Amino acid sequence: MSKFIMLLLCMNAIYGLSFAQKKYELKGKVIDENNQALAGTYVMLYPIEKGSVVDKTGSFLIKDVEEGTYKIEISFIGYQTVTDSISIPEDQPYNAALKKSFLNLQEIVVTDNYAERRKREESLNTEIVNERYLRQNLGGSLMKSLERLPGVTTIDIGSGQSKPVIRGLAFNRVVVAENGIKHEAQQWGADHGLEMDQFAISDVEIIKGPASILYGSDAIGGVINIKHRKLPADNSIAGTVNLSGKTNNDYLGTSVSLFGRRKWFFADFRVTLLDYGDYKVPADSVDIYSYRAAIHKNHLRNTAGGEKNLHFSFGIVKTAFQSRFYLSNVSSKSGFFANAHGLEPRNVDTNLHDKSARDINYPYQQVNHFKLINRSRYQWDKVSLETDLGFQRNFRQEWSKYVSHGYMPAIFPGTLNFDPDLERQFEKFVYSGNVRLSYHANEKTHFIIGASGDLQDNKIGGRGFIIPAYKQWSFGSYAFSKHTFSEKSIIQMGIRYDHGTIHTNEYSDWFTSPVIINTDTTFHYLKRAGNISRSFSNFSWSVGYNYNQERWSFKTNVGKSFRIPIAKELAANGVNYHNFSYEVGNPDLSPETSWQFDAGVEFNAPKFAVETTPFLNYFPNYIFLNPSSEHDRLYGNGNQVFYYTQSKVLRLGAEIHAHYEILNALQLGVIGEFVYSEQLSGEKKGFTLPFSPPASAIFNIKYKKPKMYFLENPYLTVDFRITAAQKNIVPPEKTTNGYHVINIGLGGDVKLQNQKVNISLQVQNLTNNKYFNHTSYYRLINVPEPGRNIIANISIPFSGKMNKK
Amino acid sequence: MKSVKIILVASLLLLVFNFCTQDAEIDKQEPQIDLTIEGAFPQNCDTLYFGESFKLKMLFSDNVELGSFSIDVHHNFDHHSHSTEVSQCDFLPEKDPVNPFSLIDDYKIENGLQKYETDELITIPSGNENGPFDDGDYHFFVRLTDKEGWSVRKGLSIKIFHR
Repeated sequence: MSKFIMLLLCMNAIYGLSFAQKKYELKGKVIDENNQALAGTYVMLYPIEKGSVVDKTGSFLIKDVEEGTYKIEISFIGYQTVTDSISIPEDQPYNAALKKSFLNLQEIVVTDNYAERRKREESLNTEIVNERYLRQNLGGSLMKSLERLPGVTTIDIGSGQSKPVIRGLAFNRVVVAENGIKHEAQQWGADHGLEMDQFAISDVEIIKGPASILYGSDAIGGVINIKHRKLPADNSIAGTVNLSGKTNNDYLGTSVSLFGRRKWFFADFRVTLLDYGDYKVPADSVDIYSYRAAIHKNHLRNTAGGEKNLHFSFGIVKTAFQSRFYLSNVSSKSGFFANAHGLEPRNVDTNLHDKSARDINYPYQQVNHFKLINRSRYQWDKVSLETDLGFQRNFRQEWSKYVSHGYMPAIFPGTLNFDPDLERQFEKFVYSGNVRLSYHANEKTHFIIGASGDLQDNKIGGRGFIIPAYKQWSFGSYAFSKHTFSEKSIIQMGIRYDHGTIHTNEYSDWFTSPVIINTDTTFHYLKRAGNISRSFSNFSWSVGYNYNQERWSFKTNVGKSFRIPIAKELAANGVNYHNFSYEVGNPDLSPETSWQFDAGVEFNAPKFAVETTPFLNYFPNYIFLNPSSEHDRLYGNGNQVFYYTQSKVLRLGAEIHAHYEILNALQLGVIGEFVYSEQLSGEKKGFTLPFSPPASAIFNIKYKKPKMYFLENPYLTVDFRITAAQKNIVPPEKTTNGYHVINIGLGGDVKLQNQKVNISLQVQNLTNNKYFNHTSYYRLINVPEPGRNIIANISIPFSGKMNKK
Repeated sequence: MKSVKIILVASLLLLVFNFCTQDAEIDKQEPQIDLTIEGAFPQNCDTLYFGESFKLKMLFSDNVELGSFSIDVHHNFDHHSHSTEVSQCDFLPEKDPVNPFSLIDDYKIENGLQKYETDELITIPSGNENGPFDDGDYHFFVRLTDKEGWSVRKGLSIKIFHR
């Protein structure tokens, strides 16, 4: 009997094996509501990720499909994506009719449904924009161009440098990742921008909320994920010439790219050059404390700057394997407002500074960021393996005329190995790697396991000391799973373990200070930092749920994320002359943890769409640089002492985003954001957190048509931005009045032969309104925001075909 | 599902209003340095003398409680510093320092004071082991905090001479 069962089992197995080898073809048709063929529609089968494009007759064909159950996804721009479960060979052929899509909350019509799909599948709130959006909203820097998005604000330093702020969190609480690798620079400084070339970006995804599972430490406030998804078409060579100009700071910029592909090999090259002068403010003087500094022809003295960026990427693309190298060097130099260095009023040689609005004198900053990244992906039937490897070097110098602050000698000794005018220098080397293994167990369940690690080596230089040199390494591993109960409901959860170690180097002053014991004064080289070694471990987790109906979609997410204290928080012991603060680190800080609840509700109808995304966030031990009432003579050179402490913090807020289509061509919109933060313990109990953005709303009218005379996709948009006053402040901030600003954008595509030349124009601050931005680095010395600015951007594509040999 | 949404939004709004209206009593005012009192010294553009003492006369005040203050005197021979004050002073010609004077000191203020008139006697020596100090333009910097850490600064342009 048992033999008979064995035989049966074996036969069954053989039958199964032979059956598994049999391949089928999936055929079908895709039409629209009027029975017209929808050529160009994408048809994809998951989890095998096999796809095809619908031809002119409306037919598609996917070859070599094994028997089984799959998820089929049919998508076309402007139509509702159809997802269905199909069994092969039973459901052959597969025909579908696509319906026109609902109005969506994308700020721009995207070229595929990627953004909408990502938003519906991600349980955290996300915003996705593409390069077209960046061109239409071109600002002085990447972050400035993204500032219009709900929940995104910036900390600005002049007209060309901005730091990202997501829902009020910034600095080391926001991760910026480019091609999978975390961008590492000197994020802790309020006057340090983000070293990114906005012209070299094809997609930006902004995750609002803690994303520690995939990004590790620091992703406590959110992630700005910069992707280069573009792949040149087969056997083609193409490129774009992008030209931009701005009237406010006489900015001129160009970015030229050239890319091509021959079968499986492709390459992409880009160079970006920007140069701008001092920016203009609608004021003839600036009140630095009680002293009124006159400014010449509205030019904010010495805020000129420039960028020189190079990018080269190449790789191979095959059906089961893709590998791509990215090589980039982003280099910028920009001046600081000459009438103040940080918060200290300075005398200005007006003959020197007002001679030209384009030159850069002292003080200025110069930053060079080099990156080499490799991303590879191996795809098998149900399993894919992705690796990211990266090397980065960030080199920052801050230059200002040597001034003997504190006990520094009045006459700079000639025996030192650095330039007396080099105020600070930071050099960072980062080696990082990620591995991700993704397994589509079946059409409903998807697992990812991964690990990441990085090694950092930081060196310091220059006359001023604020943080010591340090080495740091960290390692993390995670598991993530996503389960689709039905087409409508998705649950995802993840857990991550991280370990990090940091070693700081000893540092002593290069000059002596008078140490007074009893009444004896002796001169010593003060020791600023010791050899500190700390290790940190942490578990983080998150659970999210999405429910997508036809018109409604709901999402919710709960998670714990964390951040390893940075070297500055652990070991700072020097005067930050930019802020008049003597900053003292605390080597006993624990890793900062954050608990966050996120929700999102979105409603889409043919003429109306609205979304709201509230959040609630609690930090049991937020790391806060607390301004104390003390002054310190010896180490602090008479400055106020700021101590790193930890306190309980509660934050909550929401964004709202709505569109209403009055006519086919006319659309009204509103984007609003609000954040509230309160310290629940510690010396600043009841106070908010520094750099809290005030509530704000943008009311928008947009007129757009598919065609108008010679223009394709013309648009005209008017933004009326109202920002509330920020009265909720913490020392040393000032309350900032509310303001309103009008911005206008218009543009479209002009067809020249076979190419579409894209033109975008903007008028920012139309009424040349004088107002202050609460989160500007210069707010404390009363520097107003830029005046009226007309921005033009022209993008001219060109292309050619390679001969097929 | 609709009711869930309504409850969610309503409870959030409630929370928001609750936080916004409960305006906890926190100090949001900076302390003040008053140089308009009778005999206030030094004033912007004043002159001090090496080898002599002077009384620091300033009125500090705060709405809740004063913290501490510090004084920093350093040379301004290169005219790098500007005073924080409205009045402009005439500078001597720029020059390179040889043996400039510098002084930094921090001072505590007794706990619980809302007003404090300084009465500190400050001595400026006439020189050190390297010889007499340089005559010329100096910068006199006063920093004041209150208990909460709010701060205010005054930077005065002064001259120090050998009598």
